[in-house]
Amino acid sequence: MRQMLRVDMTNLTVGLEPVPEEWSRYGGRALTDAIVYREVPADADPLGPANVLVFSPGLLGGTTTPNGGRLSVGAKSPLTGGIKESNSGGQAAHALARIGLAGVVVTGAQADKAARYLLVIEADLSARLERVDAWAGLGNYEVADKIAALRPEGDRYATISVGPAGEALARAAGIAVSDPKGYPNRFAGRGGLGAVMGSKGLKGIVISDKGAKSREPANKEEFVAATRRFSAALKEHAVSGTGLPMYGTNVLTNILSEAGGLPTRNFARGTFEFADAIGGETQRATIVERSGAEGVNDSHGCHSGCVIKCSRYWMDKDGHYKTKGPEYETAWSFGADCEIKDLDEIAELDRACGDLGLDTIEMGATLAVYMDSGAIPFGDAAGALEALRAGLDANDPRRIIWDGAEATGLAFDVARIPVVKHQALPAYDPRAVQGMGVTYATSTMGADHTAGYTVTANILNVGGTVDPLQPAGQAELSKNLQIATAMLDSLGFCIFVAFPVLDIPEAFAAIHEMTESFTGDKWDAGALMQLGREVLTMERLYNEKAGFTEADDRLPKFFQTDELPPHNVVFTVSDEELDTVFDFVPETARQMGLQ
Amino acid sequence: MNIDLALFAYLSQYQPDGLGGRHARAMTFAPGTCISEVISELGLPDQPRVIFLNGKHAEESVVLGEGDRLAIFPPVAGG
Repeated sequence: MRQMLRVDMTNLTVGLEPVPEEWSRYGGRALTDAIVYREVPADADPLGPANVLVFSPGLLGGTTTPNGGRLSVGAKSPLTGGIKESNSGGQAAHALARIGLAGVVVTGAQADKAARYLLVIEADLSARLERVDAWAGLGNYEVADKIAALRPEGDRYATISVGPAGEALARAAGIAVSDPKGYPNRFAGRGGLGAVMGSKGLKGIVISDKGAKSREPANKEEFVAATRRFSAALKEHAVSGTGLPMYGTNVLTNILSEAGGLPTRNFARGTFEFADAIGGETQRATIVERSGAEGVNDSHGCHSGCVIKCSRYWMDKDGHYKTKGPEYETAWSFGADCEIKDLDEIAELDRACGDLGLDTIEMGATLAVYMDSGAIPFGDAAGALEALRAGLDANDPRRIIWDGAEATGLAFDVARIPVVKHQALPAYDPRAVQGMGVTYATSTMGADHTAGYTVTANILNVGGTVDPLQPAGQAELSKNLQIATAMLDSLGFCIFVAFPVLDIPEAFAAIHEMTESFTGDKWDAGALMQLGREVLTMERLYNEKAGFTEADDRLPKFFQTDELPPHNVVFTVSDEELDTVFDFVPETARQMGLQ
Repeated sequence: MNIDLALFAYLSQYQPDGLGGRHARAMTFAPGTCISEVISELGLPDQPRVIFLNGKHAEESVVLGEGDRLAIFPPVAGG
């Protein structure tokens, strides 16, 4: 029987409990959704004791499944006001799953706002809350050092933590997760879940998995054979086997700029003159040069068991670690969107967000909005860093930057605020990549590129081809990808497995073969897609109860009125088409017995 | 006929000047040259690729025109 750890921050108790039988096929996003759906009233204050913060590895977490170690973090979002699943790499998911936990459920909140706690979970499943008030205000990197000092020699563990932004209940605060080397640089960034953790008085979590082995499959022979087929497909596909390991996610900067879909200067243009200076090719060459050789800092997994290895470390001019990546979304948000054309300056902003505990997508988009107000010029990296750090003073008027693009745009009277459901748009302009406009508009998460990544067929010719500049086919494409993504997030897969899965039939088959042979339950392609529909149905119903309507499934008006150079296009997918994306929800809700 | 040619990621090594880099180069071809002939002349590896002509997807059979910008990528993705 699967277990989860329940942590009551009001009464400071911890205890194990079984995962309810009806959720035996749920892990990751499906499990965090199910718990939030059942336990958090839709009208609850996201920063109050009624919110519940859930950490869950996927159904295949803790196994030898390639790229199967992603972590889902769920709660009601203080940014969107709806249900949230924020997904992170790092070691925590495998650590939790290997020691036998399908989830950690954090309820309640500390009445004493000065109190800070560290949740310690040992490999034998004993758990305790330790008071760490002196850690108040520490950045994520220092918290990682403090935790390291507490652990016995030879321990193996993963950390989860919040920085000052989470403690300050900032609506753009994320949750940091440690990578294989212990750097707290992987993030459940989106939706302000760092503020939820901060509101509970929980500063950090450490999970020891010393001595714990990978989980045993029900049918080992079939499972091993399926994982080998899956791994071979990931290595064979040109994207996951060559492009991503060589250049990382930031390989996208040049191609999006070429396609006219790289949002530049707060979504005023679709190409950035200095795209190549901030892109993946320049990034790789710089990292290799500063590291003294290839293969040192330019390609590794964000969690063990990854065979794609798109992560990398940015080294400063003296060859010292500065931060991860930066990833494409970060290079875009601080780069093109703020017109900053230097990767060292972008990395400095990335490091600051990593330490303060802020979502880099939301912060880059927010600083671009702030620049658009005229407060500081576009391209002013030093001014951007100062504005970002200003939030450390709760009385500074720029503290509102930590609450995201919408709050900042309203406070500084900016006309063009690129948000959906109060969450900033990521790195693809929906006028030049119309499928992404459908995903941004309709996703239960607010504007979120990972929710249904139509860039595949719109731009990259992966999984077919759909003209990015035309409305035809975009709603259907987004819908199918949103369902598939919800499934992958629930099994614990990195969504980059989708690139080979969309092109190689054996790779898709391997997913249900791995799931079936590991769990011993019957799984097939239809069951996988049903899992995805069930996840989206829970999210959609929750958001309806929280007050969302069709009017919330729309892009800001300027995307329909302001033409985007160089193609001079506007977003043309109709409202009626947007409203077809979740047409499966009533039927799935009936099948699930949900109202 | 002059076109601007840009090659990205690991294709940049196929620029005829051997200098690499992603900036576009001015190149001269006979009128009526199509994209596949440019690819053949450059000796690009025989694998899937993503082609943009003036910022829009283009098939390899398309005939180039004076002043066109041609950008070629290997299969890439991220996010």
